[in-house]
Amino acid sequence: MSSWPIPGTAPFAPEEIEILNRVVGPATPVQRAWLAGFLAGLDAAASAPGTAVLASAAAPQGAALAPQPVAPAQPAEPLTIVYATESGNSERLASDMAKAARKMNLKPTVIDMADLEMSELASAKRLVFIAATWGEGDPPGRAVRAYGELMGEAAPRLEGVQFGVLALGDTAYADFCGVGKKIDARLEQLGGKRIADRVDCDLDFDEPAGKWIDSALKALAPAQDAASSRVIAVDFGGKPAPAGELGPVEAEIIGLIDLNSSQSDKETYHLELSFEGAAPQYKPGDSLDLYAENDPAYVDDLLKAAGLTSDAALRAELIKNRDVTTLSLKAVETYAEVTGHQYVKELLASGKAREWIVGRQLIDLIQQFPIALTADHLRKVTRPLSPRAYSIASSRREVGEEAHLLISAVRYQAFGRARKGVASGYVADQLKKGQKVRVKLRPNRHFALPAPDQDIIMVGPGTGIAPFRAFVQERRATNATGRSWLFFGDRQFTHDFLYQLEWQNALKDGALTRMDVAFSRDTPEKVYVQNRIWEQRRDLIEWLDKGAYFYVCGDAKAMAKDVRATLVKAYADVKGLSAEAAEKAVAGLDRAHRYLADTY
Amino acid sequence: MANDLSRNERIKEASEYLRGTLAEGLREEITGAIIEDDAQLVKFHGMYLQDDRDLRPERGKKKMEKAFAFMIRLRIPGGVCTPQQFLQVQHVAQTYGNHTMRLTTRQTFQLHGIIKSNLKATMREIDRALLTTIAACGDVNRNVMCNPNPLQSRAYRAAYDTAKAISDHLLPATPAYREIWLDGERIVGGEENVVEPIYGKTYLPRKFKVVIAVPPSNDVDVFAHDLGYIAILDENGDVVGYNVTVGGGMGMTHGQPETYPRTAEVMGFCKPQDAVAVAEAVVTVQRDWGDRSDRAHARLKYTIEDHGLDAFRAEVEKRSGVKLDQPKPFTFDSTGDRYGWTEGEDGNGHLTLFVQNGRIQDIPGGPQWMTGLREIAQMHQGDFRLTANQNIIIAGVAPDQRWDIDKLVEQYKLTRDASPLRRNSMACVALPTCGLALAESERYLPDLVTELEERLASHGLSDGEIIIRMTGCPNGCARPYLAEIGLVGKAPGKYNLYLGAAFDGSRLSKLFAEDLDHKGIVSALDPIFAAYMSERRPGERFGDYTIRAGFIAQTSNGADFHNNTGAKRTS
Ligand code: SRM
Ligand SMILES: Cc1cc2nc3c(=O)[nH]c(=O)nc-3n(C[C@H](O)[C@H](O)[C@H](O)COP(=O)(O)OP(=O)(O)OC[C@H]3O[C@@H](n4cnc5c(N)ncnc54)[C@H](O)[C@@H]3O)c2cc1C
Ligand SMILES: Cc1cc2nc3c(=O)[nH]c(=O)nc-3n(C[C@H](O)[C@H](O)[C@H](O)COP(=O)(O)O)c2cc1C
Ligand code: SF4
Repeated sequence: MSSWPIPGTAPFAPEEIEILNRVVGPATPVQRAWLAGFLAGLDAAASAPGTAVLASAAAPQGAALAPQPVAPAQPAEPLTIVYATESGNSERLASDMAKAARKMNLKPTVIDMADLEMSELASAKRLVFIAATWGEGDPPGRAVRAYGELMGEAAPRLEGVQFGVLALGDTAYADFCGVGKKIDARLEQLGGKRIADRVDCDLDFDEPAGKWIDSALKALAPAQDAASSRVIAVDFGGKPAPAGELGPVEAEIIGLIDLNSSQSDKETYHLELSFEGAAPQYKPGDSLDLYAENDPAYVDDLLKAAGLTSDAALRAELIKNRDVTTLSLKAVETYAEVTGHQYVKELLASGKAREWIVGRQLIDLIQQFPIALTADHLRKVTRPLSPRAYSIASSRREVGEEAHLLISAVRYQAFGRARKGVASGYVADQLKKGQKVRVKLRPNRHFALPAPDQDIIMVGPGTGIAPFRAFVQERRATNATGRSWLFFGDRQFTHDFLYQLEWQNALKDGALTRMDVAFSRDTPEKVYVQNRIWEQRRDLIEWLDKGAYFYVCGDAKAMAKDVRATLVKAYADVKGLSAEAAEKAVAGLDRAHRYLADTY
Repeated sequence: MANDLSRNERIKEASEYLRGTLAEGLREEITGAIIEDDAQLVKFHGMYLQDDRDLRPERGKKKMEKAFAFMIRLRIPGGVCTPQQFLQVQHVAQTYGNHTMRLTTRQTFQLHGIIKSNLKATMREIDRALLTTIAACGDVNRNVMCNPNPLQSRAYRAAYDTAKAISDHLLPATPAYREIWLDGERIVGGEENVVEPIYGKTYLPRKFKVVIAVPPSNDVDVFAHDLGYIAILDENGDVVGYNVTVGGGMGMTHGQPETYPRTAEVMGFCKPQDAVAVAEAVVTVQRDWGDRSDRAHARLKYTIEDHGLDAFRAEVEKRSGVKLDQPKPFTFDSTGDRYGWTEGEDGNGHLTLFVQNGRIQDIPGGPQWMTGLREIAQMHQGDFRLTANQNIIIAGVAPDQRWDIDKLVEQYKLTRDASPLRRNSMACVALPTCGLALAESERYLPDLVTELEERLASHGLSDGEIIIRMTGCPNGCARPYLAEIGLVGKAPGKYNLYLGAAFDGSRLSKLFAEDLDHKGIVSALDPIFAAYMSERRPGERFGDYTIRAGFIAQTSNGADFHNNTGAKRTS
């Protein structure tokens, strides 16, 4: 951390000094120089009414006032940064890059791919895509439309556009960074000029992404001649970095209970966290990253298979910090490399590795292809253990300095071994009341509540219900006047009705206007939320026509897709539209940010 | 009077012939329950709102309401159903219930664990099999029982036809049932006497139960019911008429001596063709005379205690226009079932199987009742008859089919018989479904019996037929006060022990010891078994012995049930 320029003796309150230091401390000489001039100019302006130029940025998140330089600065070179995000990583990197870009005399414009117009691409001179891959190689939900246009016939030619792509992904998925790769190829195909080679980031993207941003900016930045380097160009118009950058904080577990009945075949844990002092300033719709530890029993099996049982330090490291369960193709390749294992090489050569790893974990690789291993080998084949995101299921207005999560235990059998999810298993089997865990706020401003007088429709089967518990609590606390309609589904009414009593109360006190439920295992023919949506389509469309916001949370693989498809069908049926027209209607909701999904 | 009517009377009055707000309640998706008043009304439709009491402790913590579900009781006069009907009921149990069927002490099926959202579907399936649940519960005439006695085929026929006729005649007429469960048209208004000619707006003050017994078997426990018919046969085995009994009932409440079980009294004799008229008269007198202010005092047994048998008989004769004759002599030998194969006069075979506590389920490693009976039902040409002892009879089997049925019985380990004590044992449902249970019953009695069998064996009494019945509360659903050994739940793990009832069901027992736990029960009975072994006279029944040997005082009738209680001798 850089030095603290502003002394404690300065005529400001301690917290103000702290804030100033946070800004001035890391500022470049250029920025400091500008600030000095700006403040001087500010007073001058104040004494001469009318000349003050203070304009607020058009950032919804109550961005700080965004002053323009008093001294007219030489226009900087424009840079367009497009991000395609689901859970916010790409977005964060985009704004990091914008910040860095400003220091390099670039004028960055950050665009959410959800709002991207193709014309903006054509007109861009310098173009950067930071794109995540979701589903099974799909673009993030909100980016689907623009992605489609980019890949389609109508996409503009990009002759002369300089571009670079940063891809975010997870080597655990078969189609690693598929979306970033496709965008990268497409931009070139459209005539763009790649001036920064794509980098595909795994979950531990911070370092590689940082490196890529630096090198990409170097390549993109306009050549700086001696003169211009002294010219001060400033633009504060960019979006403020979201509050996600606060590091992990410790929280104490004050409540942990499995909400499913003891006769249910599911376990869904309601986890109550309380914080030393203030809870992270979360809003309904945000998530928390939970830093979990591996199952010691699993790690012991792994070390046994690796013949490294005696290494206590390694054991501790693996439990705490390494992803020792995921088996990616990359991991198999590394294993073959570092051990030179003959059979593993053959497996890779045969091209069968890709399917062999499906459903398997690292331990299977080591048990099936044993070989003398060192601690270092293990470090090489594993990646850092990344946190897991969980939608916050509470509103601070109702629970104060607490945050509640709803976590479904992942347990399954594969290749003769009982497996469990790292984080959910940690919560289910390791954590106890009174223990502490580390969490980090993961804001999601794309899944926020609308104005209190707006109607909302919430579709959240299974753990998808979590954020809507926060929504309803918030709406109650703020006496919101808008109507709210909740769709919930799970397996059995009697054993899996999550938060049933709370919903009953919400319906009584009016925080919830209406609720429809679907339980798939109570009847011979399975019933899901989309079936209920279909049954209620008339009322539903009427709500939407009146401006209701439509939220979907939960399973991305099937549910989210089925729900969207059902909504399209509903439009077609109720309004007598063609399939295309109905699809357009729903796309219209997307564009208006009234169809909001948070799926995983 | 009107001002101190019991709550249920107001509910019935306001219900518009049992509609209440049931239809609306069923549409309430987010609760598995219905409102209290409707919960009272739904009984008349054959259903009880219950909750899984095993789960109660955890529900609140898990932010869920009680694990509500409905019990559905069918109405099967005389306990006779076709194989197709059996299969359909089983299908419903598998699809919507808890995968078991419960044979009751009143010759019908109960299904447990049906959640509200599945009620209508369930009722439709039941209706499809030409079965009904109307008036299986509630303040109306319940399922009419009839001795399923396969031996005296001709007498049985006559008795069954009478039972069926009475059952049909006393059926509530309200269209609410079809309307609510089978989406029938709402039929509005209608004069009271048009809608419910017999019952009227407020039905009966309390439940009402009718049975028909065919001596010498008293398997239906004729003296335990409000209205009973004891068939009187001529030398050819034809029914010439019935001795009519009234005022029987078991239910009582711990610590309230003004409530007591009562054995019915013989009121007179009627001809077969008068049986229905007499039944209607008894029902309407109870309708008008019964106590509608205190439900604990509303059963016919109290009406008769209050008005006296003679006054009651006179009123019945007046209303029915039937002059009752002097009762004819009759003798009962036992209240139990005859297990295994028997042959009827018509040459057809009847196989009575012992279903422990009436619970039809596939027991891992044990009898596969669900599967076995399904397979039998699929090939069986005759009918099924449910007994008052919670057992099932595969009846009317042509000689050439016996062998196939025997094969299936073996294959699925279905039990033809059990030890003398076990085959004479009965337990009510109690936990976890019964809302009134104070202690375990169905889930506990089998283990207790096992231990008592050992005690009996140790005294060389393995062959002794002793009737033992247990209930989880004093309501007496397994008729424990008519058992030679009666155990009645008082609190979790605690039972009151009753002794001295007659083997043939004609005499009530008396309280011997209170609040016994498992050990207490065994060590209270063990010395009595020992004494019985050494002191009993030839053919002397255990119940009779305990009185003669001075262990317990004799109960002459209901009012006397609570007098002179306690152990008079302990070893
Ligand atoms: C299933 C059955 C016991 C069994 O194991 O077979 C049964 C089960 C129940 N009886 Fe019973 N009774 C059953 C035969 C009896 C009998 C025996 C008989 O009638 O031969 C009696 C004693 C005779 C009598 O009526 O006095 C009996 C006297 C009661 C009483 C006390 C009635 C009284 O006036 O004292 C109640 C409680 C009440 O009605 O208030 C009761 C109430 C109940 C309820 C419905 C509890 C309730 O009201 O919430 C029990 C449901 C438990 C469950 O989860 O299934 N049950 N009940 C029998 C069903 C018979 C049928 O098919 O209709
Ligand atoms: C924004 C966001 C919000 C989220 N909110 C919630 C929430 O509110 N509640 C919640 O419970 N989860 C939520 N999740 C999911 C959560 O982050 C974790 O992914 C989930 O809990 C599993 O993590 P884990 O460490 O327990 O399992 P992991 O150790 O990550 O294992 C999961 C992996 O196991 C494998 N697997 C799982 N089941 C099977 C099977 N049957 N057969 C074969 N392989 C299988 C799959 O490869 C799967 O990817 C959210 C995710 C995101 C991105
Ligand atoms: C449900 C789900 C599906 C995912 N699918 C893929 C995938 O198919 N390929 C991939 O490389 N990464 C996949 N990822 C990993 C994400 O791309 C990765 O978490 C990325 O950092 C998310 O960036 P974002 O926050 O900007 O959306 C998936 C993640 C989740 C939670
Ligand atoms: S006797 Fe009591 S416990 Fe047993 S079923 Fe009847 S009401 Fe329930």
